Amino acid sequence: MEAASSPLVRIRHLSLDAATARGDAHILRDLSLDVGRGRILGIVGESGSGKSTLASVLLRLLPGNISRLDGEVLFDGVDLLKLGPDAMNAYRGTRIAMIFQDPMTALNPLFTVGTHLVDVMRRRDPGLSRVEALAKGEAMLTTVGIPDPALRMQAYPHQLSGGMRQRIMIAMALLVQPDLLIADEPTTALDATVEAQIVELFEHLREKFAGSIMFISHHLGLVAELCDDLCVMYGGVIVESGPVDAVLAKPGHPYTRALLDCEIDDDGEGRLVSIPGDVPDPVAALTACVFAPRCAHAIDICRADVPLLAAVAPNHLSACLRASEVLP
Amino acid sequence: MSIAAPASQSGTLAEVLGVFRRIASTFTGTMGLFIVAMVISAAIFAPWITPYDPDALDVMRRFQNPSATHWLGTDHLGRDLFSRLIMGSRIAMAVALSAIAIAMITGTLLGIAAASLPAHIERIILILFDVIASFPSLVLALAVVAVFGPSTQLVVVIVAVTLIPVFGRVARAQVLTINNAPYIEAERLLGASYARIVVSHLLPNIAGPLVVLASMEIPVVITIEAGLSFIGLGVRPPLASWGTLIYDGYAYLSDSKLPVIIASSALGLATLGFTLFGEALRDAVDPRLNRDH
Amino acid sequence: MTAPFIEISDVDVVFGGRLRALDGINLTLDKGDILGLVGESGSGKTTLCKVLMGLARPTSGRITVAGETLTEIFARDAFSFRRRAQMLLQDAVASLSPRMRIGALVEEPLKIHDLPLAEGRLRIRMLLQRLGLPENTLGKYPHQVSGGQARRIAILRALVLTPDIIVADEPTAGLDVSVQGDLLNLMLDLHGEFGLTYLIVSHNLNVIRRITSRTAVMYLGQIVEESPTKALFKAPAHPYTAALLSTNPTVDPAKRRARIVIKGEIPSVVNPPSGCRFHTRCPNAVTRCSGEAPELRDMGEGRRVRCHFPLQAVPAMAAE
Repeated sequence: MEAASSPLVRIRHLSLDAATARGDAHILRDLSLDVGRGRILGIVGESGSGKSTLASVLLRLLPGNISRLDGEVLFDGVDLLKLGPDAMNAYRGTRIAMIFQDPMTALNPLFTVGTHLVDVMRRRDPGLSRVEALAKGEAMLTTVGIPDPALRMQAYPHQLSGGMRQRIMIAMALLVQPDLLIADEPTTALDATVEAQIVELFEHLREKFAGSIMFISHHLGLVAELCDDLCVMYGGVIVESGPVDAVLAKPGHPYTRALLDCEIDDDGEGRLVSIPGDVPDPVAALTACVFAPRCAHAIDICRADVPLLAAVAPNHLSACLRASEVLP
Repeated sequence: MSIAAPASQSGTLAEVLGVFRRIASTFTGTMGLFIVAMVISAAIFAPWITPYDPDALDVMRRFQNPSATHWLGTDHLGRDLFSRLIMGSRIAMAVALSAIAIAMITGTLLGIAAASLPAHIERIILILFDVIASFPSLVLALAVVAVFGPSTQLVVVIVAVTLIPVFGRVARAQVLTINNAPYIEAERLLGASYARIVVSHLLPNIAGPLVVLASMEIPVVITIEAGLSFIGLGVRPPLASWGTLIYDGYAYLSDSKLPVIIASSALGLATLGFTLFGEALRDAVDPRLNRDH
Repeated sequence: MTAPFIEISDVDVVFGGRLRALDGINLTLDKGDILGLVGESGSGKTTLCKVLMGLARPTSGRITVAGETLTEIFARDAFSFRRRAQMLLQDAVASLSPRMRIGALVEEPLKIHDLPLAEGRLRIRMLLQRLGLPENTLGKYPHQVSGGQARRIAILRALVLTPDIIVADEPTAGLDVSVQGDLLNLMLDLHGEFGLTYLIVSHNLNVIRRITSRTAVMYLGQIVEESPTKALFKAPAHPYTAALLSTNPTVDPAKRRARIVIKGEIPSVVNPPSGCRFHTRCPNAVTRCSGEAPELRDMGEGRRVRCHFPLQAVPAMAAE
């Protein structure tokens, strides 16, 4: 692999708290993570794991009730958390782009598809003429598999189906050629056959798109099919990360193992598996392994201190003290 | 033993206290709360806090300046202005609250009916709302007063009627939204009658926006009452309404400006207070702004 | 042969004169069946549930439960049907009235049906334990419980009335994987313990595969395939079913099917394609498919398919 080149994104000790009526909720707890250049990183976690908040931090699009934001988010060597609002704005939509679960939230209902496409290109390249931009936009619509692109350029967002809108979002993201594309559950709201089309589109993107992709999903199977690397989050903590095949073939953390066991097996019989217990309370401070209360293998040392991410194999990290012992 | 949670009242109480806490958490909200509390206590305790009979004449002491005996001075008939002002708050609140209560109850019932009954009945109710809303309240007041003569009760009725469409339309819109909510469908699946759904599930869930609307309408009604009384179509002298106070003061402006200034200030302050309170209440119950859980 | 427990015969539902949400639905359920219903937006699966629950009226056709039509049942005693057939809505949290405590919500069915409270409360206590809900849940409000708990509360509300038919719309939608297994186990256990007949709607093929005994696949208001679940997943007969199954992402690379990506979007129900409704997107479509609408044909072994050129042999083809 490209061990020599530095990763595109290097997150170090990222912590984020949000004020609630019950006190400060620890949404992200001391995260450290790299996004490799040209890699597709899948971020998997259940509700409350903090995976969507992580995406918001990268774009610095945070709600108003943030009470603490510590650590470093180095994007190509620049700490995004230290940038002023204008400097950060220059990154958004040019070097970092995002695709949302509901594309309607990101498209302006008053503008046509063509205007959206021209606008994103002009943000990157203000000198571009409108005629030129429209031509490039139309070509891109063909690339993302939209039939009758000339006609669709005149359409307004509400005249398009959900799948079509998601394709427009992807076209917009590709036109700006960002270094990092963040996709937050981009197929969750779509019907199965349309979801398959978008997944296929993402697979084709790998050839056309030079940047890195951060693919956030609750769906382990989808991430397994699409991504190079995998990062598993639980209760605001990264519990495991590594190449997707390695992690899924030989998980290094009991939570990942348990999640895989919960996946309904194709031809299995008998009882279905679930993880007993509740998700951790975000308000409580972390003094032990975040998964210990629900872990079948937890012993005293797991409850004594917060385990740090450590290598269980090359490029494969796990935050479990007993990884080699209980997951041989 | 009942399975239903004990002291289900405490949940509602905690909720109400929470709303007040959020209102008091902003400067304007605290101001509004303070003024509203002042006006309402003045209205409730008027007979005990007025130092003089508000209608007692004392022609020897006309147009007195504020002093230790008459805190705000006296008017053209020597009546104690402070006492009349306090009584005025009582009339203003009585008119506002009764008119809004009538409008809220009638409007809500009509709104629910419009949202729930067949389309042709809905049409009739909506046309009724439109007719009332397009009728200028002043013209309506003139017409009604011409027939029945001015009285406080008539002010209440006129204001209530003009407010019915305001509440009715909001209630209808709320019910139309909630009618499609999964929990209403769940109740129907359990076999609940529509009457039961209205009482147990619709009313509690549309009450919030309607109460906010009511609090926003209070300053409007206070102003309308004062206005009608000022032009002689509302509260009849010698009853001390803020409107009649201004009217009386106006006639003797060359003798003393004080009565007009004091009565208008009271009217302005009360309107401001209820407006600030209403806005703070709207923000406090808005679920989008209410992040704690 | 005895009549089936639930029989849906030639049911059409047309909204506003042109939106044909259901088109000639024929389905039967025996007592104790677990039937799965699969389909995408506009397939009509939700409408079918509503028709069965008596929330929507069929434009034509009829539904019988234990030999009596729904119209007769509702004319005689609507309450009795509400006691025997219950539906779990997709959004469990939103199906609980937000300003009532759980304690009051679970007693509502008793009050609506004027059933003795004392006995009902005993049953509620029993069900609380059976569903693994802590006692203090009763004092909470719907927004204070988790998604998994909200589903159990909805199940409890349904079971208070001792029903024998349960329609579940997307029982695991929005649930985290780590808790969905528990819920499905519970639903299967309750099926046996309370003698329930299930109609389960889900877009999650893994769920359908694991807990149902028979599956019906719907597309644009029609049933395109119906089969014992095992046979359907092993060898789908309709090209649409095959495509749907192939899109199901799996973690294990060894178990992945070659993904069949069907082109285009789901057509509008208001203006469905001529002939076979799937022909605009079908990879195998020929001229005949756009002109002639296929019938739902019997393939033997309890399988039916609506396709001129099914992917599995149809033995009775000669008799066509």
